[in-house]
This record gives sequence, structure tokens and C-alpha cells, in this order.
Amino acid sequence: MSACARHNVVTHGRLEGRPMVLAHGFGCDQHMWRHVWPAFADTHRIVLFDHMGYGGSDLSAYDPQRYDSLRGYADDVLAILEELDLRDVVFVGHSVSAMIGALAAIEAPDRFGRLVLIGPSPRYIDDDDYVGGFTREDIDGLLASLESNYLGWSGTMAPVIMGNPDRPELGEELTNSFCRTDPEIAARFARTTFLSDNRADLARVTTPALVLQCSQDVIAPDTVGRYVHEHLPESELVQLTATGHCPNLSAPEETVGAMRSYLGL
Amino acid sequence: MKRGDRLVESADELFEHAPCGYLAVTSDGVVTRVNETFLALTGYGQEELVERRRLQELLAPGARIFWETHLAPLLMMQGQVNEIAVEVLRADGSRLPAFMSCVLRPAPDGTPQGIFVVLFPAADRRRYEDELLAARRRERETARTLQRGMLVSELPQPEGFDLHVTYRPAVSGLEVGGDWYDAFWLEPGETLGLVVGDVVGRGVDAAVTMGQLRSAVRAFAWTGLGPSGLLEAMDGYVRRHGAGTMTTLVYAQLDVRRSTLRYAAAGHPPPVLARPGEAPTLLWGGRSLPLDAHPDPGRPRDEAHAELPPGSVVLLYTDGLVERRSVSLDVGLDRLVDGLTRHRGAPPSQLAGDLVRGLHDPEHSDDICLLVASARANAS
Repeated sequence: MSACARHNVVTHGRLEGRPMVLAHGFGCDQHMWRHVWPAFADTHRIVLFDHMGYGGSDLSAYDPQRYDSLRGYADDVLAILEELDLRDVVFVGHSVSAMIGALAAIEAPDRFGRLVLIGPSPRYIDDDDYVGGFTREDIDGLLASLESNYLGWSGTMAPVIMGNPDRPELGEELTNSFCRTDPEIAARFARTTFLSDNRADLARVTTPALVLQCSQDVIAPDTVGRYVHEHLPESELVQLTATGHCPNLSAPEETVGAMRSYLGL
Repeated sequence: MKRGDRLVESADELFEHAPCGYLAVTSDGVVTRVNETFLALTGYGQEELVERRRLQELLAPGARIFWETHLAPLLMMQGQVNEIAVEVLRADGSRLPAFMSCVLRPAPDGTPQGIFVVLFPAADRRRYEDELLAARRRERETARTLQRGMLVSELPQPEGFDLHVTYRPAVSGLEVGGDWYDAFWLEPGETLGLVVGDVVGRGVDAAVTMGQLRSAVRAFAWTGLGPSGLLEAMDGYVRRHGAGTMTTLVYAQLDVRRSTLRYAAAGHPPPVLARPGEAPTLLWGGRSLPLDAHPDPGRPRDEAHAELPPGSVVLLYTDGLVERRSVSLDVGLDRLVDGLTRHRGAPPSQLAGDLVRGLHDPEHSDDICLLVASARANAS
């Protein structure tokens, strides 16, 4: 089976445009980008995909060992880029996918033109002087949250879509995919995400990067965004006024604006 | 009733003393209003929270990550989230287990204006749920241990043949199924008994039944019964012991010296045979109903046999390999035959892996068991 089929790759925009690959973070799927990608469809070839275990990905290809490390996810990204033979890619990674993109760019720098890292963190757990924001116990708390909240999900999520009351079928589509995660896979991805330490990898990223830092982001605090910016060989740091961890959903205009000016559009 | 006896049912009263904690927060999470019940539950003062704290900060760290990675996106996408188990941090640092429901209140222009949040204290119920989760984990582990313990870890390796089995418990299911396989010498170096079966049901019950039937098959097999005779004996066993009704089972005797296979299938998907130079075929011979399924108990069962010239491959498997939610069984069987056509040249372990990967349906959570027997091309 092809990498594109395994990862439910969906493309939009100009086929001959510069490729823009958007990678969702832990917990969701490619629908995270629905307010962002349309702004680049006139100029770019948009490539959306689901990480293994999420959205419309092919669970039969899930291999616990491969996904015990973020490298497994980075290899998936490279497989998609190779299959579509994409070069000079603008890779937009949200949350954990920021580091996944960085790892992929270290592996195959010739395929990447720019990185846009939204809420990146190379390490979530505090370590001596480094403040990631969390302790190991906090991550166990997250695993407990995932476990105790799995059952309630599928049935009780009402298919109400903001701004689309006249398209109930869209609601159906989203409730069925946005929340669809195998509980064991979710727990594994949580462990891989929140227990990784990729601080040493930052210096090896030769691709120029934009770091988009939200305000009051409890997942990736300001200090972590600055750390990423300072340790990347070539990066710009933009502080968003948007709060929280998902500006791609909560403040798409500001996110798009920052991306456009970075890309010189 | 006198007028003065009535409760004052003003909106304020209903809000402040609702039988749940009730907060209004901005779409960023900043608390704009909080009711008396919440303050009483958590020990905070009004002035500590309003315009000062964000909802996220009132959640324990695990729940906070869960909020940012799952709940906030879902809320934004779907307008509400319901019945989420969270822990709220009280003013004194202790934790209040609660259930939380939120609804996004849009501004007139459709943009998110704020979030209404209710929190129901649920210490006892959460403890009960934790116990249920732990019990379910234990049961699953017990069933898996039982199941694993009853499956042979090393298959006999007869001269001139390669045997391989791939056994894949349902990936996403919460309980194990009742698939089993077995392979044992009937006459060392001469005849091998091969079994693939599928017990109805899941969990510990299915694992226990599977263990009983596996032992019974072995015991009957060693008495010298042929495939059809063994299935008839199993009918009697199932009927007498009331365990394993409707089990499907294929039993085959592989004569290693003569390279022949005698087989009988009780309601089980047909074995597949690929002989060199021929297209793979489904072995529809030797079929009868599942164990103890026939209204006429003494009815004799059929069996069939096949030659296995060097280079032949036989597949025995359970329905998890070929059943898909959206298509008929025939389509699944066709796909298996196609898969075997494509991969038949591969060594058995690789062949099994390729077939399982190619056919597995993530939507159909069932055990998969696939036993491959191939006659080496250079067999003497």
C-alpha cells in the first residue's frame, strides 16, 4: 500500500505550485488545518495527511516499535514526500509535528525549503535548568485522562459544526474521524510525544524555520519557543497574540498572516 | 401554598446554587463568571478567579494537556464536549475528580464568544470507573495469558515442509477472541495434525472454551480418528459438555512422506491450496456445519484430500483474515486467493506477513490466525 493511502493524503490547490505540507499534532487529525490551508491554495500545492493511528490513516500499518520514537513519524513524512516527489517543501508542523518535521528535514534537507513550527517543543519534561513545563507524573496524568475518557467519546460527541449548521454531513464526517483514535495508539503516541528529548537535534536543522509562539500556551510555553528559536541555526520567532496551543483553529487569520509574511507572499 | 413559601427562582438563584459548579469563560479560558457551588467545591474566592485565572489552570496537569490537545480543538470544531472526566485543582492544592461538559457560545457573527462549563463532582463514580477500567485490563490480560499459554510456541518442523503461523490478536478490540491453532505429530516424522479453530465469543470465557476444545481435539486425534471422525467426536464432546457450540474448525492430517493432506472443515472458511503451475484454489471439499450445529446429531461428516506436490502451499486460517465490514465474504476470499497468487513465491513467514498486512481490515476488529504449510520445492 502506498504511503499516501496509508496516511489518507489529501491534496488541494495548484498542482504546479510550491508544495506546502501541513502536519497535525497529537490528539487530532488533518481537519485541524481547515481554516489555514485555503489561504495558500492559490499559490501552493497543499498536502494534508493523517499521522499513523489518527483520522483516516490505515491502522493495519501501525507498528508499535516504529512509533516508539518520533523518527518513525518523520520517516512517514519522508515517505510521503518521496512518493509525491516533493521538493522545496514548506513544511508546517503543529505541536509535536514541529519536531517531526525538524527530524525529517535533518534526514533529507534537499526536500525542504522552509519549516513553519507552530508551538514547537523539543522536550516537554523539566530537566535540570531546562523548563519544559511538565513532570513525568503530569504525563502519567495525561495517560490516565486518555484512558478514562476514551469510552465516553464516540457516542456523546454531537455532530454540531461551528458555522456549518446547514451541512450536517460535515458534522458526521468530523465526529467520525476527528475523534477516532485507538486508545492504545493514543497512549503510545502520548508517551512518544511527551517523553521525547530532541533538544540536541535542533542544531542539526539546516532548513530555515519560522517559530510561531502562542501566548499563554501551557503545552509549549514562551521560554520553550525562545529555546527552539535560539538553538535552530536559522530561524525567526514570531509571538502571536493568540492564546492556547491551537492557533490554527482559534486564530487562523493571525496564523495565516504570520506565515504569509514569512514566506514573502 | 402561600406565596412566601415558594423558592425564589430567579435566574441568579438558579445559577449561583445550581447543583453543579458552573463557570463562564472567554474562548481563551479566562473566567468571567463563576457560581457559588463551584467556589464551595473548590475553596476559591470569587476575586481569585474572575478575570484572573483561566479554566486550563484550574485543571490538573494531565487534564490540562488533554484540554489543549483534545478538548479545545473539539470544542472549536464541534461546539461542545460532554461528560469528560477531569481533575480540578482546589485552592488548597487537592484534586476534585469531576465530570465536565462545555458548550461554546458563539457571538452573533458566528465567532466563538465564550464557553459555558459545568462540573459535577464525581469522586465515587470516578473511583468506580477506575475500578472497572482496572478490572477490564485484568480480564484482558488474563484472557491473553490464557490464550497465549494454550497456543504452541514452536511448531513441529517436518522434513520437506515449512510450517509457519501468524497469530494476531485483535489490535483495537478490548477483549481477545477465541481463535486458536495447533500442530502436533500424530506419528513422529510421518503424519502431522494441523488445527485452526474459532470459538464463538470473546474474553476469558472464549479463551477457556478454546482451551477445552484444543485439548479435546488433541486427545481425539491421537486415538487415530481421521478428519471427519474427529469432527464427529467433537460434536459429541461439545454436546455433552455444553461448551463450544457453533465453534468452527478445520482439522487436517498432513502425511509428510506421501505429501498428501486429508482435511475436514466444520463451518470453517475453506483452506486455500496453491500447487506449482496452477492458480490457487479454495478447497471446498470436506465441508460440514459448525460443531454441534446440526439438528441430527449422529449425521456423518465429510472429508476430502489433496495432493501436495513439491512447491505447493496450503493456508488454514480464521475468518478474521477474510471478513471485512463493508464487503461480502466472497470478496474477502477472492482477495486472499489474489494475495496468494502474488506472494506465493515468498518464504512462509514472509508470505503470512504479506497476506495479513494486505488483507487486514482496521475497521473489523477480530483475531487473525493464519497457518501456512508449504512443501519445499526441492523435497525428495
